[in-house]
Amino acid sequence: MSDLAALKNDMEGCSRCSLCKWIPQAQIKSWRFAKGCPSVERYSFHAFSGGGKLIASNSLLEGRCGLDETLMEIIYKCQLCGACQVSCQAYRDDIDLADVLLALRSRCVSEGCVPEEHIFVFDSMKKEDNTLGMLKADRGKWADGMALPDINTQKVEVLFHAGCRYSYDDDLQDTVRGWAGLFSDAGVDIGIAGREESCCGGRVFEMGYQAEMTNFAEDMISRVKASGARTLVTACSDCYYTFKYLYPRSGHELGVEILHATEFADSLIRKKDIAPRREVPMKVTYHDPCHLGRRGEIYKSGWTGDNKLLRPVRFKQMGNMGVFDPPRDVIRAVPGVELVEMERIREYSWCCGAGGGVLEAYPEFASWTAAERIEEAESTGAEAIVTACPWCERVFRDEVEESGKEMKILDVIDLLSMSLGGE
Amino acid sequence: MKDLPEGMYAELESALGEDNVSRHPAVLDGYAWQPIFSLTSQKWIPRPAAVALPRTTEDVQAIIKLCNRYQVKFKAHSTGWAAWGGPSREGEIQIDLRRMNRIIELDPKNKFAVVEPYVSCGQLQAEAMKHGLTCHIIGAGPNTSPLASTTSGWGYGGTGLSTGFGGKNPLGVEWVLPDGEVLKLGSPGSGDYWFSGDGPGPSLRAVMRGFSGLQGSLGVFTKCAIKLYPYYGPREPKIEGVLLDVRTEVPETEKMFWIIAPSYKKFADLSYEIGNAEIAYWWCRSPLGAGVDLFMPRAGDRIFESRQLKAVFDAFQHLGVALLSSESKREIEYQEKVLRKITLDHDCILLDLSKAPGYGFWWWTMGVRSILTALTFRAGGDFLTSYGSPVEYDNAVRQAEVATKCKQKYIDRGTFKEDNGDIGWGGIYEGTANWGHCEMAAMFDRRDGRGDERVEYLEESAETTVENTLGVGLSNLPPGAWKIYGPQVYNYHLWQARIKKALDPGRVGDEEWYVPPIDEIEKEEKSG
Repeated sequence: MSDLAALKNDMEGCSRCSLCKWIPQAQIKSWRFAKGCPSVERYSFHAFSGGGKLIASNSLLEGRCGLDETLMEIIYKCQLCGACQVSCQAYRDDIDLADVLLALRSRCVSEGCVPEEHIFVFDSMKKEDNTLGMLKADRGKWADGMALPDINTQKVEVLFHAGCRYSYDDDLQDTVRGWAGLFSDAGVDIGIAGREESCCGGRVFEMGYQAEMTNFAEDMISRVKASGARTLVTACSDCYYTFKYLYPRSGHELGVEILHATEFADSLIRKKDIAPRREVPMKVTYHDPCHLGRRGEIYKSGWTGDNKLLRPVRFKQMGNMGVFDPPRDVIRAVPGVELVEMERIREYSWCCGAGGGVLEAYPEFASWTAAERIEEAESTGAEAIVTACPWCERVFRDEVEESGKEMKILDVIDLLSMSLGGE
Repeated sequence: MKDLPEGMYAELESALGEDNVSRHPAVLDGYAWQPIFSLTSQKWIPRPAAVALPRTTEDVQAIIKLCNRYQVKFKAHSTGWAAWGGPSREGEIQIDLRRMNRIIELDPKNKFAVVEPYVSCGQLQAEAMKHGLTCHIIGAGPNTSPLASTTSGWGYGGTGLSTGFGGKNPLGVEWVLPDGEVLKLGSPGSGDYWFSGDGPGPSLRAVMRGFSGLQGSLGVFTKCAIKLYPYYGPREPKIEGVLLDVRTEVPETEKMFWIIAPSYKKFADLSYEIGNAEIAYWWCRSPLGAGVDLFMPRAGDRIFESRQLKAVFDAFQHLGVALLSSESKREIEYQEKVLRKITLDHDCILLDLSKAPGYGFWWWTMGVRSILTALTFRAGGDFLTSYGSPVEYDNAVRQAEVATKCKQKYIDRGTFKEDNGDIGWGGIYEGTANWGHCEMAAMFDRRDGRGDERVEYLEESAETTVENTLGVGLSNLPPGAWKIYGPQVYNYHLWQARIKKALDPGRVGDEEWYVPPIDEIEKEEKSG
């Protein structure tokens, strides 16, 4: 994945049709919300699009351009949201656009051409095992007072992984406390790693520090094994994507069932272990996090040929097998909630703006992208955007606060908590 | 890499803002990669010296006036898919019109929309549908610019029978000429509304685009009023899926058929009858062999290796797709009766697609939104088209026959992917007019290093077009094609060359896909 040159055939396959800039053509419902790629929408030059980055990669490989500040910005002013890959692969069997974008960043790291803010994240990972520059010692504080079993001292059925953002972002800790408490209250034998939990490594992998993820993956594998858990549940979409796609892609297997909290909750609601009862009269819309949706699709391993034109379709990462319905089913299970859809949903959803290291390095671009999504949510008449990812929630909250908009930003658990009588 | 003259870049930045101009090699190479219709064996087309992103007509004027002052050529593109939208020489300015992306107005009562260059067909159709209208979408698909195909390209789509083709659909037009002045064609030219392309006000449609469009070689079109047509499907259709997985319900006022004719002649005759009967919303030849490579690209080679299976595909070679669409169920029943009778009269087979599973897929992806063409990339990663003159439809169908023989040699050589030879695609324009086109697609992998063979095919296709009096081939017009075709068609190129001289005195419009000014042609002729 890190070898840019190995992907030259993919780059040279680009016909410059620009389908990567749009949501899939079959799904265009209006002028306003037809676009799919935040990067090229914000910065306009073709190089910022998915196809443009294929061309820039090829140009770089052929020595037609060098890796400098401008090219670095083209590469990193991109959330790696995967919308381009979905629109491209609907037609193309022989181009793995997302792989090229990841390989480009790896090349940037190897040449020392990265945003300064990412170096801070990388250093924080090395020193404190998290992406936010916080103290390792404070990692488990989010669960203080919850009396959740500690997997470092006892075996559990289900390991709950909080992730960096939930562990340290005070504004969002109610979400992760809510999920863990919900499952515990439903009688699930669920435990946490607390202070010993560390980052999954996915975020720095996306920044281009691919080798660094190996240490975190190995750490995670040993922790999961020691816990005795058969299921790993996380409420963080970034972590989910890392466990479901990046780890197996890099040869790391956790060896347990991996579920997002919304998937787990959906199964418990179906089994009637959780029964939302109180009316929540609210009109909401659901934002598909990229890392839970199209990028949360399991890694499709098993094909090893050279000529991707001959690759069977079942091995393509089309993005349509991500987690789309469970969060919606959970929302619909809450009495009184009316779920209305935005135009860009599921695998052709518009990104929140936070991914790919953009929130850290280019916060203005993250805000712009979030504002676009909030405007789309407003067009549905919803009073709240419900999502299932701390990074989406963070950037939406910040944008709403900054712009003074009325839109509420909720996690799926917030609706469940309201219905179940929690906060 | 050829740079701009001293001072020009700074003036561009001053006119457009620093963020809207670039000369960084990585940015410029985004405009130097145009594989489609790049009719050479080179991977890259010439790299521009700078790219500019205008937002307004005044921005476009400012760029072009600078080009005149500094004697720098320019080329503009809208969605920018194909080599003719890029520079033909290093040192030019690429004008990327993507910031000019508004639907200025949509007038449901008078059935037209005024659009800027970077509005896509998909966007325009989605907005028009809300009013029970639709737009013409060219075969390339809804990711293309309706302004571009209406003002500057030849542009045919499967709905040509009911929505005309590119050249038939412009009303009022705003055009920045190569000297930087704005010319408004049609009713806006007399300070009036956008409703007419032919006056009151100057009617220069023939000069603006002629028969096949000038591919942006003579200035920049900044606004265009485009005709819209009735659409009888749901105004907010519920579509699931993104392409091959698309599912939807088809209303009973829409009905789709496959019709298989026993021969080229019968297919043409059948098509004339459909046009004369004034039925059908879509009628387009779509040979079955193409479907194999679009939907089962890895199976194609093996299927066509089998003589027995090949025989089956040959039997279904002359396949056409018909979509009936109307306001009322009774009208559809009437059209179906007529279609069935015509089919029987011409010894054809009619398959009612509405009885097939997944029928909604065909209706939406082909009949309405026209999104299947780019599936041709699945077979080899690239494709080209050839022949395709708009002529009387029996002559158009004859092109498929000639083209199949010509192409088969190259398939046998491995230049093109096996597709059973005949992918002669195209239908009739505008009902009883009885003319249309049929272009021959060919699929290949451009990474195979056999570009020269494909150029050879295109040259041979042009020669056979002339030898067989098939008209002026549209989609195989390489730069300089006027040298081949001009003398065949009343020396039209000499008129174009005079227009070029009159409208582009500074000779700053990139003329590679058009003609040079008349004095240069005359000079060449004198020198022998």
